[in-house]
This record gives sequence, structure tokens and C-alpha cells, in this order.
Amino acid sequence: MPTQPLPDFSSSVRLKYVKLGYQYLVNHFLTLLLIPMIATCVLELVRRGPEELISMYNSLELDVIHILCSSFVIIFILTVYFMSRPRPVYLVDYACFKPSASCRVPFATFMEHTSMICEDPKSVQFQTRILERSGLGEETCLPPANHYIPPNPTMEAARAEAQLVIFSAIDDLIKKTGLQPKHIDLLVVNCSLFSPTPSLSAMIVNKYKLRSNIKSFNLSGMGCSAGLLSIDLARDLLQVHPGSNALVISTEIITPNFYKGNRRDMLLPNCLFRMGAAAILLSNRRRDATRAKYRLLHVVRTHKGADDRAYRCVYQEEDSDGHCGISLSKDLMAIAGDALKSNITTIGPLVLPMSEQLLFFFTLVGRRLINPNLRPYIPDFKQAFEHFCIHAGGRAVIDELQKSLQLSAEHVEASRMTLHRFGNTSSSSLWYELNYIESKGRMKRGDRVWQIGFGSGFKCNSAVWKCLRTVKTPVDGPWAECIHRYPVDIPEIVKL
Amino acid sequence: MEILATLTMLLILCSIYFLWKLYSLQRTTNCYLIDYVCFKPPPDRMVNRKTAGEIIERNRTLGLSEYKFLLKVIINSGMGVETYAPRNILEGREASPTFDDALQEMDEFIDTTVNDLFKKTNISPRDVDLLVINISGFSPAPSLASRIVQRYKMREDVKAYNVSGMGCSASLISIDLVRNTFKSGKKTIALAISSESLSPNWYAGKDKSMILSNILFRTGGSAMLLTNDPAMRARAKMRLKCLIRTHTGANDNAYNCAMQKEDDAGFVGMHLGKNLPKAAVHAFVENFQRLIPKILPYRELALYVYRTIKQKVVKPPGKGNMAMTKIDFRTGIDHFCIHTGGPAVIDAVRRGLRLSEYDTEPSSMALHRWGNTSSTSLWYVLSYMEAKKRLKKRDRVLMITFGTGFKCNSCIWEVNKDLGDAGVWEESINNYPPQTLVNPYLEMYGWVADETEETFNREARVEELRTLY
Repeated sequence: MPTQPLPDFSSSVRLKYVKLGYQYLVNHFLTLLLIPMIATCVLELVRRGPEELISMYNSLELDVIHILCSSFVIIFILTVYFMSRPRPVYLVDYACFKPSASCRVPFATFMEHTSMICEDPKSVQFQTRILERSGLGEETCLPPANHYIPPNPTMEAARAEAQLVIFSAIDDLIKKTGLQPKHIDLLVVNCSLFSPTPSLSAMIVNKYKLRSNIKSFNLSGMGCSAGLLSIDLARDLLQVHPGSNALVISTEIITPNFYKGNRRDMLLPNCLFRMGAAAILLSNRRRDATRAKYRLLHVVRTHKGADDRAYRCVYQEEDSDGHCGISLSKDLMAIAGDALKSNITTIGPLVLPMSEQLLFFFTLVGRRLINPNLRPYIPDFKQAFEHFCIHAGGRAVIDELQKSLQLSAEHVEASRMTLHRFGNTSSSSLWYELNYIESKGRMKRGDRVWQIGFGSGFKCNSAVWKCLRTVKTPVDGPWAECIHRYPVDIPEIVKL
Repeated sequence: MEILATLTMLLILCSIYFLWKLYSLQRTTNCYLIDYVCFKPPPDRMVNRKTAGEIIERNRTLGLSEYKFLLKVIINSGMGVETYAPRNILEGREASPTFDDALQEMDEFIDTTVNDLFKKTNISPRDVDLLVINISGFSPAPSLASRIVQRYKMREDVKAYNVSGMGCSASLISIDLVRNTFKSGKKTIALAISSESLSPNWYAGKDKSMILSNILFRTGGSAMLLTNDPAMRARAKMRLKCLIRTHTGANDNAYNCAMQKEDDAGFVGMHLGKNLPKAAVHAFVENFQRLIPKILPYRELALYVYRTIKQKVVKPPGKGNMAMTKIDFRTGIDHFCIHTGGPAVIDAVRRGLRLSEYDTEPSSMALHRWGNTSSTSLWYVLSYMEAKKRLKKRDRVLMITFGTGFKCNSCIWEVNKDLGDAGVWEESINNYPPQTLVNPYLEMYGWVADETEETFNREARVEELRTLY
């Protein structure tokens, strides 16, 4: 806990008003400049009087041809301008997989299974400690194959899990949006750790009888940030295909990835990863603009793979006994912070209001020229966004980001509660978090959401959405039955 | 009034600027292939006749009928004795591959091929804006795309995509991804990498439909650099004219005909069903129906329409025997790159498109020299054409691939300038086409057709093999 003296409240209140005034002045600079200009024009017009204005107009000697030509030119240029702008990408709706209660893995079940599967009591103890501090709740779910003792990771079971989670999510999406499978033009599927042949995208084409000229892409191995990667790919595709829609599926298949060994850095994923999937419908059709929930403003991708440490911090390999698992290095938090900083550097100028950008710029100049000991100004991202969806990678990730972005507990509530209720569902976690915010009735028209995903590589991807219509509760989704119980207080350590 | 004049001038300048921006955006929507390099594995990874027989024989769970089946397959495979396999299979560890084996297989390919490509084109890895890699059977975390970013220290804002599980047609899927990204107008340099991972995918059981993939696939890989920058047009080898993708996965037979699954004993393998050829034909026909208007010149297209109408109206078809309207594809296409899936695939395409031996020679020779290298086979075929100096300016090249799902993808390239780089065929091009058509495997293993359960003496045959060389 920081041991700072209590702040001087009176001065901080005055400072707050100064800051508010400064922000208002800078962000509405153009409007403030325009008002006196318009006022002067109106005064001038009123002063001259109508007869003088009419005589001025007549002296122009405009005949019909001139007027027609100029209006034609103006209309033509306006059309060309509007047509050459990038097509807006709308998120019509999305659906998350809601696991059934029979897949739940309460702490007692998890610990009992672990003690029966794991031969090394130290590993069992380690996993218990991890689970106690993980921030997960008692209702997270594992696929049916992982309920066997020991787990039964066959290809058939993995396919069954994929079918269960993906098809449920798509069925929900179809019900919500009235989407007809034959109308899907683009399909992007991302699943990191399970990539059968034929691909999961082919599985979806087969199940829903999609059209033969569909453009499908199956991305694999791209980690927990792959959801936003798929959104980026779908956006690029939608720029090129007018009047189309895209179905994006983000999931992680847990079945084949149970780690059977004893290496501590590889046991973490066993404790944290849980079953989940999300199906998202994107569109660039103008008629979907009225019923869409969000509009995609920006996607920024940062890849720190050039740095060897960053590349190896989430690494799949075999241990000395030949068991395959994913090791998470101790540097993970530092590298995540670094990746986030790079990502912010790119996204900051795109989303921050002018007031924050100027402050940041002046502090930077001050640090370089005047005093290097000046504290670096961390832009206040709460000015740019109303809601934050931070990948529920683990408690440490959320804590770290809350600290670096100076967010309040309410801002990170969606992430913490998703981690508690669903565990780390990898790339689909961002959508569970968004659903939480909607279920709580906090999503209003005009609100901006920032989704941040981290993943192996090491990648940090951000997406910025703008809400187009207030989302009314109750919201049908994975939170429907339990939202009234949230938020819950998650203790630091749950004694098992 | 001066204000009005100034405003008009401003408007006109703005309009000129918008129109110019639109025009330059159009110019950067073309997809140019700057260059490509195919992987040539080191000579110690070659699979000669003896090695092929040894590998087949090693699997002791196989009975005579499976043994016969496999040897028959290899005799009819159309492959020569200079194809390549992964190290773990050659070293006898095919049934227990480690994660490192798979990574090593990829590293060996990437280190040579991608390095060569950057050196050849004189483009720095830091200039690459888009990276697409497609490797079907192996998908580690971090992805192979990240592995390449790390190895070549690419920029932070590089767009990396790792496509996986999409089968033998995945190379054109990567090109499709690149082409779509190019259309956004921003000047981009893309690196597309295509290969197949064989080490972790050996089938250790004895289901006949699944052992095929053990025998048929060989090591190969290719790396391509593409761009949409019109300034690089002069250096580019080819320009992409169109790309058509067809996915017949909605049909259950097509989807299930090639499927990775477990056999009854729990071994994972690639099941290739009996209705695979039918699914391939169906996908092929559907793809071509969309491709024909883009290939054929107007005259041939008009002739096709006339002949179809004449056939349907004047001479109604007989009892279920639809004679296909004659189309001469060579009026629209000069060269044909057919996926080297096997002699049956190449023959089927030749018959379907009414091509000559000369047209399918590059594919047959690539199959003979390199084997079925899955998604990357097209580039070996293209390289053969280039080595034989067949590619002249303004020639059109058609690439056709088939893949699990069931997908059929095709694209048309227009050659930008006369090409003559022998590439990966440099040392062997003078031996092709071969003077003799003796099948080396038939010579060595032809006896298997005459063997029965009683006469077959496995140990004696193995000893005979060992003493031969």
C-alpha cells in the first residue's frame, strides 16, 4: 500500500476545475472559434440590410448556366468524397457460448481431479496455490473430455468440444440477428491450439451449408489476442467487398491441451484456461447501420516478436518427460506492460482528445529540453473511453493494467467478473466482458469501448468500438441468469 | 466578387485532389509477385527407392495386404527417387515425433528459403508490412508467423497471419488474403510463406485409407514476396489477374472425404475416402463455371454459348449422357499449373480441360522430382516452367489447387516480363523430361503383385533389400 500523506483536498478541487476548464477549452477549440465568426457575419448581414444584399447578388451577374455548373461540380465532388471514404464496419450483434452447469469445475472438483491425476504432491500443492490466488470462481467450465480422470484428449473429443462451443454460439447469433447462413459472405475463425484438417472454418461451412463462394480463413496459433486479429482481417476484407457481412468466430479448444507433466511454468494454463467461444457478425451494409450495436473505429496491432524475451515469454514446448505444454515466463507482466506502452503510443493520437495530447506533448518537450526529471505524463484514457475490456488473462494482468492506465475499480469490473465467472477463455474473453457491461445496463449510445488483448508472440492488439444504440436490459446471453449476483468481492486468497 | 472566385478556385483544387487520390488508390490495387523461392532440402534428406521400401517395411503392424497396397501406391505415385522427407522419418523415429522435430523441420525450411528470398530481391525484412504463413499440420504457440517476426526482427506494426488446417489449397488462400489487404490502397509489401509439416503427422496404424498420406506427401516449401506498389512493377515477375475460391463443404460427402481423425486403435491419421475424386471433380466444375468468363476471350466465350445452346436445343442430350461442350482453354491460358496431388489428379485435369502432354508436363515433372509437396507444389511447377524458359511477357498462367474441405481454388497470373530463372530446378532441369519412362519403383518392387500369403517371406525380402545397395 502506498504511504503517501493525505492529499490536500481544497487545492485538488480547485485543480479539478482548472483541469476541466482547460479540457473544455482545448477540445472545443474550433467551435469556440467559430462562434465569434458567425456572430460577426450575422451582425454584418443585419447591418447591411436586405436591399443592399440583393443588389450585391445582382452585381454578380450569375445566370442559370453558372448556377447549374457550380452546383453540379459541388454535388459531384461531394459524391466522390463520400464514396472514397473507408466503409464503416458495423458490429450487428454477437453471441457468447454459455456452458451448461454439468461442465462446471468448482474448486473442490478441480483439486480432487488434480490430486488423482498428478503423481507429484508438490505439483498438486502448487496448483492449489495458483487456484487460490487466481481470481477464478466456482462456476468456470471445462470441456467434457477434461472431466475424465485422467483427461481423455482424443481428436474426436476435441472436435466434439469445438462443435459444442462454436455451434451454440452461432445458433444464438442466428436467433438474435435473424441471420441466414446463406447470406454470410466472409468467415474468419481463430482457434489457437487446435487446428484439425479440414479446418474449423470448413466444419462451420459444412454444418450451416454456407455458400460455395464464401471466403473463409482459419487462423491458428495466434494466442489470446487472436480475436482482435480476426476482427482486423474481417475489417480489411469488408473494405474490399461492398455490401457484405462477415462472421467472426473466436474460441479456444481446451481438450487437446491438458498438460500432464510437473513443470510449474507449464501447469499455470491448466489452472486458468476455460471453455468459451464467441460469434460476431460484422457488416458494411448501410441498412445494417440502423440495427447495429457498435461501429468499429480503430484496430491497432503491436507485435513485439522481434524481441527474443517477448517471443519466448509464452512458449509451447515439450518438457524433459516429453509432455507438451505452454510455459509462461516470469517476465510476462513486464513484457505485457511494454507491449501495451507501444500499443498506446499508436492508439493514443487516434483516440485521445486534443487536451490530453497537448499535455502529453508539452510534458515530452519539457522532459527533453528543460528538465529530464519531469514525471512523464500518462494520458488519461478515461477521457477517451467510457468502458474498458481488458483480456481476462489472469488477475495479475488486470491489476497491472489497472495500475498503468490509472483505471478505477469500476472500469476493470467487467474483466475481473468475467475472470471469476468464466475463467480465462482466451480470445473470446473480451466478448464476455462486453456482454457483462451490456447486461449491467451501462452501455449507452455514443459510449466508446476499448478492447485490449494480449497474446503469445508477444502481441498486444486493441480495438475501439462506438456504441450506436443504448442496449436495454435484460440482455440475453451468458450472464443472463447470474448478472444480478455481480459484482462479487473477490478476495486476494481463497483458502482451499 | 473575389471571395467567390477564391472559393471556386478552392473547390476546384479540392476536387482535383480527391480525383487524384482516387486514381492513385486504384493504381495500388494490383497484386504483383516480385519473386519467389522454393525450398531445396539438403541431399541427406532424399528418399531413394531403398529408403522408401525401408520406411514402409519398418511398420511391423502391417500385414501383407497393407504392404502390397503401399508398394502398389508408391509404384503408381508418379514420384521419382529424388524426393525429400523430414529427418525424423528418415532416422526411424516417425512414430514418436517430438515437438522439436516439427520445429526443426520448419526452421530448416525458413532459414534457407526466406533468407534466399530476401537476398535475391534485396528487400529488407523491416520493409515487410504483411506476413502470411500457411502450414497445415502444425500450429504451435507462439505461431510460426511470430517465429518469423522474431527471427527476422520485423517491425512492431507488421500484420502477421498464421493460416492453418486449410489443406493443399492453402497457398492460394494466403494469396487471397494478401490480395484483399492490397486493395485497401496503402502501399504494402507482403511476404507469403507456404509449406507443409510432415514430422508430427505420421500415421502409426494400419487403416489403408490413412496410410496413404504417409507415402504420398513429401517435404517442400516456398516463400513469395508480393506488393501493390506500382513503383515496383518493373521488377515484378507476374501480376495477379483474378482468384476464384470454391468451397463445397456444404456437401457432407465433400466435407468428409478427407478428414483427420482417429482410427479404431486411437492412432491419428488423415483419412482419404473413396469419394475423394468425385468431390474433387464437383469442386473443380463449380470453380471453373465461375472462372470461364474470366479466362476465355470474347470470341471463344461466344462460341461456347452458341455450342451449349445448340447442344441443348437442337440436339437434346441422350439417356443421361451429357457430352461436355468443347472449350479450348488454350485460347485464354498459355500455361497450366496443376496441383501435383498425384498422376490421377493431373490426368483428370488434362482430360477435363482437353490439354496436351506438353501442357501438363510441368506438373508431372514437378511431381516426379519433388513429390506431392501439398500446398506449395504450384510454385515448383511454376519454377519448372520458368527454368524451361516457357514464360514470356504477357503470357497467362492458370494455377489450380484442390484441398480438404472440399475446396478448389484457382487463379490467373499475367507474366510481366520474359522469365528465365532456373531457381530450385537449376541442377536437375537438363534431366527433364526424362528420356526413359522406366518406373524406378516398379523395377524394385514389382514382385509384390505376384506374392501371396504363403509365398511371402518378409525376412528374406528385407535381407534382399539390404544386400542390393
